[in-house]
Amino acid sequence: MAESICRTLRNGRLEGEHAAALTIKDTIASPFGFDVFNHVLSQLSSFILAGKSQSRGVVVVAFTRSPSFYVDLLKRRGIDVDASKKWIRILDCYTDPVGWKDMLIECGSLSQEASTTARLCKDVRDLDKMCSSIVELGNGLIGQVKGHFSVAIDSVSVMLRHASMTSIADLLNNLRGHDQVSSIFWLLHSELHEVRVTAVLEYMSSMVASLEPLNCSANGQRSELERVSLLGPKGKFHVRLKRRNGRVRVMYEEFYLEHSGINFTSLSSEDGLVYQGLVPKVQFNLQLSEKERDDRAKVVLPFEHQGIGKPIQIYDGRKSLTESVNEATAVSTETLQTAGDSSNGEIIYFRDSDDEMPDSDEDPDDDLDI
Amino acid sequence: MARTNPRTSSFSRNLSSAPSSQSPGLKCGPNGTVVVSSGIPDLDKILGGGFPLGSLVMVMEDAEAPHHMLLLRNFMSQGLVHNQPLLYASPSKDPRGFLGTLPSPASSKDDKSRDREPEQEKGLRIAWQYKKYFGENQNNFDGNRDCSHQYCNDFDLRKPLERQFLSGQHVDCVSIQDSPNLDTIRDRCATFLNKLSRNDGSITSAGRIAIQSFCAPQCKYSNMEWDMLSFIRFLKSMIQSANAIAVLTFPPSLLSPSFSKRLQHMADTLLSVRAIPDEDKDMAKLLTGYQDMVGLLNVHKVARINTQVPLILEATTFSIKLQKHRFLVLECLNQAPVDGSSGTSYSKSSSCSGSSKTGTLDF
Repeated sequence: MAESICRTLRNGRLEGEHAAALTIKDTIASPFGFDVFNHVLSQLSSFILAGKSQSRGVVVVAFTRSPSFYVDLLKRRGIDVDASKKWIRILDCYTDPVGWKDMLIECGSLSQEASTTARLCKDVRDLDKMCSSIVELGNGLIGQVKGHFSVAIDSVSVMLRHASMTSIADLLNNLRGHDQVSSIFWLLHSELHEVRVTAVLEYMSSMVASLEPLNCSANGQRSELERVSLLGPKGKFHVRLKRRNGRVRVMYEEFYLEHSGINFTSLSSEDGLVYQGLVPKVQFNLQLSEKERDDRAKVVLPFEHQGIGKPIQIYDGRKSLTESVNEATAVSTETLQTAGDSSNGEIIYFRDSDDEMPDSDEDPDDDLDI
Repeated sequence: MARTNPRTSSFSRNLSSAPSSQSPGLKCGPNGTVVVSSGIPDLDKILGGGFPLGSLVMVMEDAEAPHHMLLLRNFMSQGLVHNQPLLYASPSKDPRGFLGTLPSPASSKDDKSRDREPEQEKGLRIAWQYKKYFGENQNNFDGNRDCSHQYCNDFDLRKPLERQFLSGQHVDCVSIQDSPNLDTIRDRCATFLNKLSRNDGSITSAGRIAIQSFCAPQCKYSNMEWDMLSFIRFLKSMIQSANAIAVLTFPPSLLSPSFSKRLQHMADTLLSVRAIPDEDKDMAKLLTGYQDMVGLLNVHKVARINTQVPLILEATTFSIKLQKHRFLVLECLNQAPVDGSSGTSYSKSSSCSGSSKTGTLDF
């Protein structure tokens, strides 16, 4: 849920841990990642201004929009930007990422514009310098007092155009491990990159929020009309949150876009997650309830009474020998009596199998001594 | 007539290089190997004693859970408690800091909770035809209960390891983050293992190498897959002729599938840890003890040295639980009873049940 990820970012890090990190991931089927990014940024800013969050300021590393866009965005959301010097800094990697304007200024064809809220970054390929700029800006926010700041990276996809995955991973890891960074979040367009890149960024983050279109592949075919309506601003918001104890909280929500921003609602139809692949064939539960335990204690096991002194009776799978002996005698007395009468027709039946000796080689159960 | 040495064949090995009783960290394992403890008593039982000397253990991490750190911590602490040399490599800037999080062996009064288990087993009534021919069933896992001389300690994850264990000269740490290639760690491993090379004399001590998150993305060599593979081959060949064990963890999701498979094949013992979803109702219904579980451990391969016979385990998936939030326990998964199953096989018992003296025995 979007609220819980904003809350996690707000709470930041614990002592001795890495900073909380969020990856916002979108695809071409649901390309609203930037709206989610703006939503998270404005939520975090309102927490910072209200003093509820661990960090006291945010550094925005802007690759896809100019700094003025962010200032306007926050103004529109009702966040006090006049005091913005105290809590937000923007590293402008949008205006002149590789320093071409500098060269043009030297040639005299462009005039330089100065910007007060943002610091210009002229070479996005030099990630060490970028890291130190971010940290400097953050320190500028906090001042002399010990405190924390958050970092928001506009788009890692754009960073990957200029730098290698390893160096970006290094940068993110350094930022996460930095003592003063309390939380960090970034946006990624997953279809622009190889699977490995997405895997690396998910590895480095403690929360992954992905945007998916509303229909799952399980639903099969849909009519053209429904597909068209999917282009409307709706989708599924899927969050995986790594908890400290090693369990993963998975949450689903629906989002829809409005003019003022993005809204999240709980999912209308529950998608049951069945972790069939995760759980292998398991053994059955061998725990017993109290009653079962008592009953079990009362049972006399087969070989337990072997030394007692009663004659050992080997069970042969038919009626018990004592009973059959009794029956045989009863039958024989009866037959004697009736033979005496012999006026009525009688069928005298002697079971052939009673004459046989029980053969213990045939059936292993014959050894059982009950 | 209780036997002390369960023999599986009529041949007995000439154990001239057997570890003496003065080195509690080493034990005779199956097939003439010498094993060291992994630091987790349940894991030792599963693997048949411990990790054999000269083997490479690999643990496949899950990107979503830090359980491999639990395994590493116990492994390293066990080595330090037994005064075995340790080399630790990690992709962080300050690996020494990790040593401060190592757990300490549980004090003896905490051990009582684990003692109850073997006692219960002795009270188990077994109806066995040949019981009259044998004495009491022997139990190999006792020994002297002295904490420092125990082969495998129960580690209390909330208590940090005492300083005295960490300050020896035989504890070495390497950071693999900043080096552009694998040469630094290769050299450090080589120097470490050269001191422990195997000769025909008796084994006095064994070394432990712990490498954490080997192909972490922030390491500069993480794209150089063939180099990583050749480093592991090098490590494996050096370990085979040394009295040492190496435990290496790596995240397989960050490698290409073919390289992940290649690395897995290099391992002598291969384990993997997996995260479980939180508050999953389906899983809670399917498994008992779901509330206490923090993750799953899979045993994919067990080292078999000096033998052709593979070890076939009863179960390969175990749940990782933290007992009292302190002790790492591995348990077999138990499925919760399912309604309406297995009724038919017991229905033809009518002819047998008449002769039983007490009611509930059905065959």
